[in-house]
Amino acid sequence: MSSNTAIYVRRRITNMVAMLLGGFATLLGLTFLVWILWVTVSNGISAITPTLFTKITAYGAQGGLSNAIVGSLIMDFTALLICAPIGVLAGTYLAEYANSSKLGATIRFLNDILLSAPSIVLGLFVYVIIVLPMSNMTHGAISFSGLAGSVALALIGLPVIVRTTDEMLQLVPGTLREAALSLGVPQWKLTMQVLIRAAGSGILTGILLALARLAGETAPLLFTAFGNNFMTLHPLDKMASLPVAIYQYTNDPNPAMHAIAWAGALLITMFVLALSLLTRLIFSRKKVSYE
Amino acid sequence: MNDLAAAVATPMANVEERTKIKVRDLHFYYNGFHALKGISMDVPEKQVTAIIGPSGCGKSTLLRIFNRIYAIYPKLEAKGQVELDGENILDPGYSMNRLRGKVGMVFQKPVPFPMTIFENVAYGIRHHEKLSKPDMSTRVEQALRSAALWDEVKDKLKQNALSLSGGQQQRLCIARAIALRPEVLLLDEPTSALDPIATSRIEQLVEELKSEYTIVIVTHNMQQAARVSDYTGFMYIGELIEFGNTEKIFTKPDRKQTEDYITGRFG
Repeated sequence: MSSNTAIYVRRRITNMVAMLLGGFATLLGLTFLVWILWVTVSNGISAITPTLFTKITAYGAQGGLSNAIVGSLIMDFTALLICAPIGVLAGTYLAEYANSSKLGATIRFLNDILLSAPSIVLGLFVYVIIVLPMSNMTHGAISFSGLAGSVALALIGLPVIVRTTDEMLQLVPGTLREAALSLGVPQWKLTMQVLIRAAGSGILTGILLALARLAGETAPLLFTAFGNNFMTLHPLDKMASLPVAIYQYTNDPNPAMHAIAWAGALLITMFVLALSLLTRLIFSRKKVSYE
Repeated sequence: MNDLAAAVATPMANVEERTKIKVRDLHFYYNGFHALKGISMDVPEKQVTAIIGPSGCGKSTLLRIFNRIYAIYPKLEAKGQVELDGENILDPGYSMNRLRGKVGMVFQKPVPFPMTIFENVAYGIRHHEKLSKPDMSTRVEQALRSAALWDEVKDKLKQNALSLSGGQQQRLCIARAIALRPEVLLLDEPTSALDPIATSRIEQLVEELKSEYTIVIVTHNMQQAARVSDYTGFMYIGELIEFGNTEKIFTKPDRKQTEDYITGRFG
């Protein structure tokens, strides 16, 4: 009896210590998150003015970020247009056709490597395979371009989409496949009409997460889209983007430039935050419960 | 023997059932593991045949050979003969499309497709036949009526099928299977995930459906087998120990193993 009491007391103490440590770690993580948000908001909010959206980048306080905002939107969504179809198809292949094969395992492994590849390496890669050849072919008329930037960003988003599509399709119960196949429906119809629908909200979530991920990237754009102080809509021009503009503005000693950089940082943060909220909304609403 | 006796005797002789599925020396291997060891049986047409036995005895495996659904997984192999109306369905030349149009299946857990109630039933039909819109509506209604679900869903055919209760979902799955007008209906523990009321509805339905379909039902529940089936097969570790008239299997089985299982001495 007494030895039991000793054990219980010890367990209670161990439990309390573990709870305290866990709680402290959570608090620490949250503190930094809230801190980052606070610093971004408090520094950026004052510089969010109408001119930010109407004027292009310029030296001093007169400038805005309109060209960077437009450039970012163009490149982010072009990147998504490139990587979403490829990613969804590749993820579908992995989950439905190569699930237990060696080839599938190898592709998954390579995809994970791409997922963790340093983004500057992807930027350099696109510089070598697109920017340089284009420059050589056109004798320098076209070199850095929004298109090259989009391709680099697509490489960031691709592995995210492949992985979520693969995982979401694997969550669809095997009995659903059997049920469709037992009606005599062929595999491709099953995949396109039943499985993609069953995993739809999950796949969409993956695509939006990829967008959130690539929207904040700077390094892949440095050697590809380069940046531009003027407004352009042409995909073969050098193109401005929010992350690169922030990078350039913070390198300037002028405090007025810093304020605009903060505003840009706040814009990206809000965009990513909105995407996260949207994914949560989609995922909670359209959740298909097969248990 | 007078004329009257002869007149009565003749139809009596016709009651002798026709065999729908003839299984001969069927072996099955899961990645080398010998799961079915020489099964032979005759599944009679338009009757309910139940397959009972303890977990892992191979009853679901046997059922899954009848529509070759096992073939979607690698490393599974069936050897022997399974004849549907005299044709061996294990023959690689036997069209999967044709087989699955003839042999429908309902699974343990209700798995409606993520579509509307109407689309769930129409989906399979569309793959096999081109029907005009009114014909399709009639066909879907017929299937839902046969599955005793029509009255509950007729006002919400456009709703997502996942909004139905478990028992309704299972009847929807039965409707989906019979919408193709199959000849054989395979039921793999169709009520094990349902409550007693939903279960009795499904059992009632099985009773009604047997006038048109040959039904093979795998069940863990011996009372259910006794209630719904005309014939029962008892399986144990990959072998068919005994097969015969349900009443006989449950009252005076020939084999001691069958008797022990039915009286609850093991299993």
